[in-house]
Amino acid sequence: MIARSSTTGRIGLRDDALSACVSCGLCLPHCPTYRATGDERRSPRGRIALMRIVESGLAEPNAEWLAAMDTCIQCRGCEPACPSGVPFGELMADTQAFNSGTRRLPLRLRLGLRVLGRPQMLRLGTRLLALAQRMGFFRSSGFLPGRLPLRLPRRPAPAEVDVVLFTGCVMDTWTPHVHDAAQRVLEATGARVGRSGTAAGCCGALHVHAGLREEARSLAHRVMAALPGDQQVLADSAGCGAMLKEYGDLLGTEEAHAFSARVADVHEWLVERLDRLTPVGGRSEPVIIQDPCHLRHVQRVDGAMRAVLAPFVPVVELDDEGLCCGAGGAFAVLQPDLAAKVRDQKVAAIDRAVARSGAAVVVSANPGCSFYLGAAGYQVRHPLEVVAEGLAATGGQEMTDGN
Amino acid sequence: MNALDTFRDAVGESGAVCVRGGGTRWAVGGLPRPGTREVVAPSGVKRHDPAEMIVSVGAGTPLGDLREVLRPTGQETTLDGPDGCTVGGVLAVGHSSLRRARVGALTDALLEANCVGANGRTFTAGGPTVKNVTGYDLCRLLVGSLGTLALMGEVLLRTRPAPEHAMWLEGEVEPDEVAAACYRPSCVLWDGTTTSVCLEGYQVDVVEEVSILRRLGFREVGGSPVLPPFRARWAGNVPEGAVLEIGTGVLHQPLPADLPLVDPAVARLAGRVKVSFDPTGRLNPGRDPYREAA
Amino acid sequence: MEVLGPDRVTDGSAARRLYSRDGSVIEGGRAGPVCFPETTGEVVGCVQAARAHGRAFVPRGAGTGLTGGSVPCDDPVMIVTTRMNQILEVDRGRRVAWVEPGVVNLDLAHHLAGSGLHFAPDPSSQQACTIGGNVANNSGGPHCLAYGVTSAHVAAVEVVLSDGTVVVLGEEQGDSVGLDLRGAFVGGEGTLGVATKIAVRLTQDPPKVATLLLDFVEVADAATTVSAIIAAGVLPAALELMDRRVVEAVEPFVHAGYPLDAAAVLIVELDGLPGGVAHEVGLVTRIGSQGGARTVRLAADDAERDRIWKGRKSAFGAIANIRPDYYLHDTVIPRTKLAGVLDEVYAIAERHDLLVMNVFHAGDGNLHPLLLFDSREPGVMERVLAAGEEIVRASLAAGGVLSGEHGIGLEKRRFMSLQFSPEDLAAQDALRRAFDPDGIANPLKVLPTGASCGDVNALDVVPDGVWV
Repeated sequence: MIARSSTTGRIGLRDDALSACVSCGLCLPHCPTYRATGDERRSPRGRIALMRIVESGLAEPNAEWLAAMDTCIQCRGCEPACPSGVPFGELMADTQAFNSGTRRLPLRLRLGLRVLGRPQMLRLGTRLLALAQRMGFFRSSGFLPGRLPLRLPRRPAPAEVDVVLFTGCVMDTWTPHVHDAAQRVLEATGARVGRSGTAAGCCGALHVHAGLREEARSLAHRVMAALPGDQQVLADSAGCGAMLKEYGDLLGTEEAHAFSARVADVHEWLVERLDRLTPVGGRSEPVIIQDPCHLRHVQRVDGAMRAVLAPFVPVVELDDEGLCCGAGGAFAVLQPDLAAKVRDQKVAAIDRAVARSGAAVVVSANPGCSFYLGAAGYQVRHPLEVVAEGLAATGGQEMTDGN
Repeated sequence: MNALDTFRDAVGESGAVCVRGGGTRWAVGGLPRPGTREVVAPSGVKRHDPAEMIVSVGAGTPLGDLREVLRPTGQETTLDGPDGCTVGGVLAVGHSSLRRARVGALTDALLEANCVGANGRTFTAGGPTVKNVTGYDLCRLLVGSLGTLALMGEVLLRTRPAPEHAMWLEGEVEPDEVAAACYRPSCVLWDGTTTSVCLEGYQVDVVEEVSILRRLGFREVGGSPVLPPFRARWAGNVPEGAVLEIGTGVLHQPLPADLPLVDPAVARLAGRVKVSFDPTGRLNPGRDPYREAA
Repeated sequence: MEVLGPDRVTDGSAARRLYSRDGSVIEGGRAGPVCFPETTGEVVGCVQAARAHGRAFVPRGAGTGLTGGSVPCDDPVMIVTTRMNQILEVDRGRRVAWVEPGVVNLDLAHHLAGSGLHFAPDPSSQQACTIGGNVANNSGGPHCLAYGVTSAHVAAVEVVLSDGTVVVLGEEQGDSVGLDLRGAFVGGEGTLGVATKIAVRLTQDPPKVATLLLDFVEVADAATTVSAIIAAGVLPAALELMDRRVVEAVEPFVHAGYPLDAAAVLIVELDGLPGGVAHEVGLVTRIGSQGGARTVRLAADDAERDRIWKGRKSAFGAIANIRPDYYLHDTVIPRTKLAGVLDEVYAIAERHDLLVMNVFHAGDGNLHPLLLFDSREPGVMERVLAAGEEIVRASLAAGGVLSGEHGIGLEKRRFMSLQFSPEDLAAQDALRRAFDPDGIANPLKVLPTGASCGDVNALDVVPDGVWV
């Protein structure tokens, strides 16, 4: 994604990125799919070795090769573990972009991704799904929230705002209460908060994962066009935040780099203003922290999330060092068996934490993780929902938005 | 001709042969078949290098002599045995020290062995450094093999700092309580009623732990209790007159133990090892490491 | 093969390619079918299937080995133990844990955390390597100085032999009954059979730990201080040396507080009961100061201790930012010869126009010279191999051995006859033949045979007839 120092081969991978891997294997335990299978083809080291042989023309991509790539959740848990600093996310995104040029993606993925880019279609579809849910036509499938909202509020963007809350696509339609909570917390610091809304729409992260880089670029252009100015753009979805921060690399323009520089995760922004948030005090039930991969491995702001939560609620850590839960955007839909095995590992870790602490609530700052863990039977909330409830009533100093 | 070559020539290339050390545990694993020629391994401490924590010694050296050489340097080996035993004898019999929890297992003590093989030629097992994974670990195989695979002539042993202070205590206390109260006691023995403990280390620490054990009901005694002569493997109870080593499962008892049951598959493997090293069965015939209970 | 379901055996070209390598630079291995057994019975099935098809088999854990020990030659059945990853039983009273071979070393450490017990071997790859691999390589790590390498911490091991029989070698407690076949098996690099269950000994956590950082303006002073500490009767839990280049590479990332202008730093860790630790801290401080240490810093708390160790453990990561490739050696020399051999190592690297860094287990003389290079540079591999060979020869000339913890594998078998006579090697082969009479367990490893492995050639230039 970065301006290439040199590419030599078929896929067009950056030579420096590819050669940085020395096959030491220290990434292996940090890869959720290797953990679940014990198979090198499901590991970062193995996938890089396989990229190499196609890149250098030693072999053609075949079904086994494609399966190795398609089973990568792109959680990027291998990146912080890598002593050589291999930019695995870049290599995999480039590989998937190459793959998307050589084959057609599954129809349901293409349809799904198209809907994400069209807010009106998403809202309509959601209302239909919500109705169907209430009429008992289907049970929650694991990638939808347990109860979709039937009515979706429309909010005007305030003219004068200090920060913009990026609302994205599915979260805005499926779990608007999370944005409401985030907004309450942001406003409690005294900030005037606007929302990116349907004009900005989807960030394009899932499109990049699927290798649809051109579609992602056009979505990025739309987001940037909808959010001019120089206010900070805050994301309460770890996946969206990570994507927005990488627009500079995706588009390779000055403007995009400038935009990415405006982006922060909500917790990252709040942690600088913790003194303005007053907890209501009293005892609160502990919550189990699940680190979304794009918060911990990509944005690396998991510390900020903990710092924001700490004054409001006792936190319980998992003992799996941030291993992915298996949701991975569309991964749980496309690779349901493997995703379920990966989730089993997370479930075991959560159950250990429950046994240790008695905590009943899991917090996760990413919609995909929340839906997928919710479908496993946990009560999953966004960290800022917990914070919003713990705010003293007088917390908000300058409420600007009347919602 | 050096001592090892002399030993090699004494062993020769044919005929049943065994090595006599101190003879203190001559019957362990069976007596040599009648008519077996006895040879004696080289004796004497060749080199002690305190900064390397190693000592090179003839296998026929009395253990007492080795201890005398090491004592002034404040070091010791893990080897332990009856009065009059030799270094080679202790290694061949393969029983770890009572103080194993501090000094380590006997099988970890042997770094390098210059041996005479069944073909009458010398070979070296292991290497001269304190850490070594070069090739197969023949040294651990030789320890406890009763000289049935090769005959050790000269050996290089690991040494370690000897404790500044040592103290034996005993009390009518369950051994589990010692484990909970002390940090790695060198030895814990139990006769079913009385627990004996050996504490070793820096004086300041030993004194502190002695006071903890006193509060549990222990009293200081002059040394190790006298152990009955035969060894067995703990099978869940401590018979009358027996003493159990806590942590190793070795039972010291007044009567000889039944021979251990050996899995036939393990026995077959051990048999292949023996044949591989000594195809004609000339080394210590009549002796069998599996005819020893623990 | 009917032994495993189709999801756990593959003949795919991608799998065979991936399983032809391990963590080393060695290329050219050739893997046959790749199997993922989950039980001892399935491993037996894999071995019997290999026999039935006239193939060899190669056991493999996480593939982090650095000497090609699990690099397959000539299409053997690959027996991958990563799915045998259960911690079966932890007996805290008797301080033994039974684990399957695919359990990751650090996972076992995490599992035991808080129990007051731990598994002592802590190789640098511990976050990824498996206990089965530790057994195969008799692995070490920084804390093996006082506690001993893996063999000292393996009580018993269940093994599938190359004829398909299952044996348990060793005892949960005490000395071996009969021959110490357990001791012989550990470090066998997969050539003596497949470990399918392992009883590891657990060590009581020390009540007190003190970590010191000493810095020197001369590498030789640091090296001499190492042997002075040992000679004074102190056996540290760990005693590590890092030279200036390592310090310069690590410090900006870790902020461990290593002095950037030092030629070398020593990390000395002392553990035990508080009185003795305090005494030894004083002793080491005095010896260090007399030996030329500019400063001796005692970590004030766990956070500072963690930072000091993080620097040591991040060394390879920082190095990768200097050159994309490294070749890591692993010889052991008498620790009193450290200063001289280190000088030679620097000179050898300079002669071959290579960067070298030294970060190693100084306490037991276990050198780890890292030769840094960029494999895209034409001809560099030849220089790296030549320099590596000179380092090996210099170590042997100083009275050392070929490997302290990485093993021989394919990489160093050509050097075996430098350290061992034909009679020595014949004795080792006697052991191997007893375990594997047909020569089908990970063939061509450890002992030099003159035969070449697959298409591996760069590292394998033993002329025919060197021995046997």
